Amino acid sequence: MAIDARAPGLTRRTVDEVADSRQEPDWLRARRQAAWDVYDATPNPGRTDEEWRRTNLRWLQWESLAPAPARDGVGRVPSTVPAAALSPSVTLLVSAAGARVIDISPEARDAGVVTLDLAEAARTQPELVRERLSTTAIPPEQGKFQALNAALWQGGALVHVPRGAALAQPILVVVCGDAGLEQPHLLASLGEGAQASIVEWWADAEHDSPALVNGATELFVDSGAQLTYSHVQALATDARSILSQRAIVGRDATFTSTNVTVGGRFHKARVEAGLIEPGASVVMNGAFRLGRRQFVDHHTTQGHLAPDGTSDLLFAGVLDGRARSVYAGTIIVEPKAQRTNAYQNNRNLLLNSGTRADSIPRLEIMADDVRCTHGATTSTLEPSHLYYLCSRGLPESQARELIVEGYFEAVLDRVPHEGVRDVLRGVLTAPAPTSDGATGI
Amino acid sequence: MHNGSGADALLIQDLHVRVEGMPILKGIDLHVPKGEVHALMGPNGSGKSTLANTLMGHPAFEVTGGSVTFKGQDVLELATDERARLGMFMAFQYPSEITGVRVSNFLRMALNAQREDEISAMEFRRLMMEKMRLLRMDLKFASRYLNEGFSGGEKKRNEILQMAVLQPELAILDETDSGLDIDALRIVADGVNTLRGAEMATLVITHYQRLLNYIVPDVVHVLIDGRIARTGGKQLALELDEMGYEAITAAQEA
Repeated sequence: MAIDARAPGLTRRTVDEVADSRQEPDWLRARRQAAWDVYDATPNPGRTDEEWRRTNLRWLQWESLAPAPARDGVGRVPSTVPAAALSPSVTLLVSAAGARVIDISPEARDAGVVTLDLAEAARTQPELVRERLSTTAIPPEQGKFQALNAALWQGGALVHVPRGAALAQPILVVVCGDAGLEQPHLLASLGEGAQASIVEWWADAEHDSPALVNGATELFVDSGAQLTYSHVQALATDARSILSQRAIVGRDATFTSTNVTVGGRFHKARVEAGLIEPGASVVMNGAFRLGRRQFVDHHTTQGHLAPDGTSDLLFAGVLDGRARSVYAGTIIVEPKAQRTNAYQNNRNLLLNSGTRADSIPRLEIMADDVRCTHGATTSTLEPSHLYYLCSRGLPESQARELIVEGYFEAVLDRVPHEGVRDVLRGVLTAPAPTSDGATGI
Repeated sequence: MHNGSGADALLIQDLHVRVEGMPILKGIDLHVPKGEVHALMGPNGSGKSTLANTLMGHPAFEVTGGSVTFKGQDVLELATDERARLGMFMAFQYPSEITGVRVSNFLRMALNAQREDEISAMEFRRLMMEKMRLLRMDLKFASRYLNEGFSGGEKKRNEILQMAVLQPELAILDETDSGLDIDALRIVADGVNTLRGAEMATLVITHYQRLLNYIVPDVVHVLIDGRIARTGGKQLALELDEMGYEAITAAQEA
C-alpha cells in the first residue's frame, strides 16, 4: 500500500526543504541536520534488537519513505473526534501543513496559555522551544525512528501552560494523518505549579489516511505542576504508526498519562516517564482494544532518577480476532533514587484462541532502599461469567461487550479528569472493527 | 396429570442429564405451578445444582432425555438468555464476580432486555431504591462492581435484589442459604416471602431444613442419586432434619 513512491526517498536535502518551507531559524535547521546524521548512521532496527525482537518491521521500505504533502486542505477537526464532548479550552489541529488553533477559550487566553505551530514558535518564542525540542526528552540518539522524527517532523505543535496557571478544561491536540509519512511532533510544557489536561488524538484526515505515522511527544512537567495527558490512537484500519512519548517530571510534580489504542493495523509505542527530581509522582495508564489482525507493541519505561518518587503503571488490553500484542515494561531505579516506590502491571484478556499477548516485565534496580513490584496476567473469557450475565436475559453478544467494557474500568478509574475519562471510555466502547478488510497483511 | 396443572407451570418430565459423560439426573419428574413454593432437598452430589443449572441452560450440562416446559414453551430449545426473558430466574449458589460492571448498570440492562420499552433513569432509580430498602441494603451497593469483593452474605442478597428487580415468574434458589448467618438468612427469606405470590413459581434448593423455617414450602421433594425419592408436605423437611437422608436411602433400598 502506498507510501508515496513518486519521491526518491528521504535525503539530507529533504531536511533543507522542510526547513526552508517554514523559514526556520538556523539553530533549528542545524538541529534537524544533526538528527539526520544520527538517522543516517543508525542501522535499521530489526529482529536482532531486543526492542524489535517480537515486532516485525519487514513491511517498511526505508528507501521509499516520503514526507506527507503539506496540503492546505486540512481545515477542520475530523468528525470521528468527539471534540464537543471534551469541551476543550483549546483545540489545535495538526497536519503536515503545521498546527492551527481552531478554538481557544477566554479562560485559556487569560491564563496565558501558548498554543502555536512549532516552527512558528521556534521563530517567535525560541525560549520555549530551543532548550527542550529533541534534547533531553527524546534526543535523536534514542533510535532510528526518533532521529527520523527529529530530522523531519512536519506537523509540530507547541503547548505551554505558564507557571501557576490552572486550566479546568482539556487542551485538545488533533493530529490528522494524511497520505504518506506523517511525522507529528508535540512539545508541551507546564511551568511551575501549573495544572492542565492535554488530550492528543491521532485520527485520519477526512480526505485521506496515512500510510505511516511516526510521531513524537515530549512533555515537561515542572516543579509542583500537574499534567493529565491522554493519547488516543484511532487511525484508519490500514494505517501503521510509531509513537515515541516521554515525560520529564520535576520536583513534587504529578504526571498521569493514559494511552488508548484502538486503530490502525500496526502500532508501536514507547511510553516513558523520567522522574528527574525528588518527590515526582507518576501514573501511567494504557488501554488497547484490538481485533482483526491488529498488532500493538508497547514498551514502557518508568525511569526513577531522583529519590522519593512514585510511579504506578497499569496497561490493560483486550484482543479479539487474530490480534497480537507485545507489552514490555521496564522500571529503572538509578543509584540515587532511594525510597522509590514503583509498580507495574499488565493485564490482557484474550477473547479467542487466535489471539496472543506477550508480556515482558523488567526491573533494573540500582538503589537499595526501594519498593518495586510488577505483575502480569493474561486471561480468557470465563464461560461462567457469560452464563451468569446471560441468565439475567442479556444476549451473549451484549454480555461479552459488558465484560470487555468492564475490563477497562480499572484503567479508566485512574483517569483524574471525568470528562476525559468518559470520552476515553467511549473510544474503548465502540466495537473494534471486525471486517478483515483488504489490509493484505 | 398433576393437580392444579396450568399451562403456566414448570413441568419437568423424565429428565436425564449428564455431566462430562456421567449420568447425574436419571429421570426427574417435577411440576411446580405458579403460586407455589416447592423445596428440593437432598444430600451433596444428589444432583440438586445440576437440575437448577440444567433448567437455566448451563452449557456444561447435557440433556440426554426428557423434557422441560415452562409457560407451555419447550425450555430446552432456548438459550440461557431466552429462558431468562421467558421469566425464569436462578439465584446462583456461587455468583460470578464481574469487574468493572456496576450493579445498577447491569440490572438496568437486564431489565431492559426483557422489556419492550426502556425504563427511564428516574423510574429505574426508584425501583432499585425500593428493592434495596426491602433487602436492607446500603444504597452504595448499586454502584459497586458486580459481586467483586462482596461477602458471602452480600452476594446472596445481591441475587435476591436481582430477583426483586426482574420479577421473574419462575424463581430457582440454588442453595441461597449456604454461607449465610441467621440474620442474613432472615433478610433473604423475608425478601423471597415478599415476592412470592400468585404470579411466581418458586423452587427452593437446599441441603438443610433451616431455610424452610423461614420460607415455608407448599411441597417438599427429596432428590437422591438423580431421582426424586420422596415428595410430601412441609413436614417432610422436618422429618429429614430429624432422621437424615440415610433413612430415605435405606427405605428405598429395602
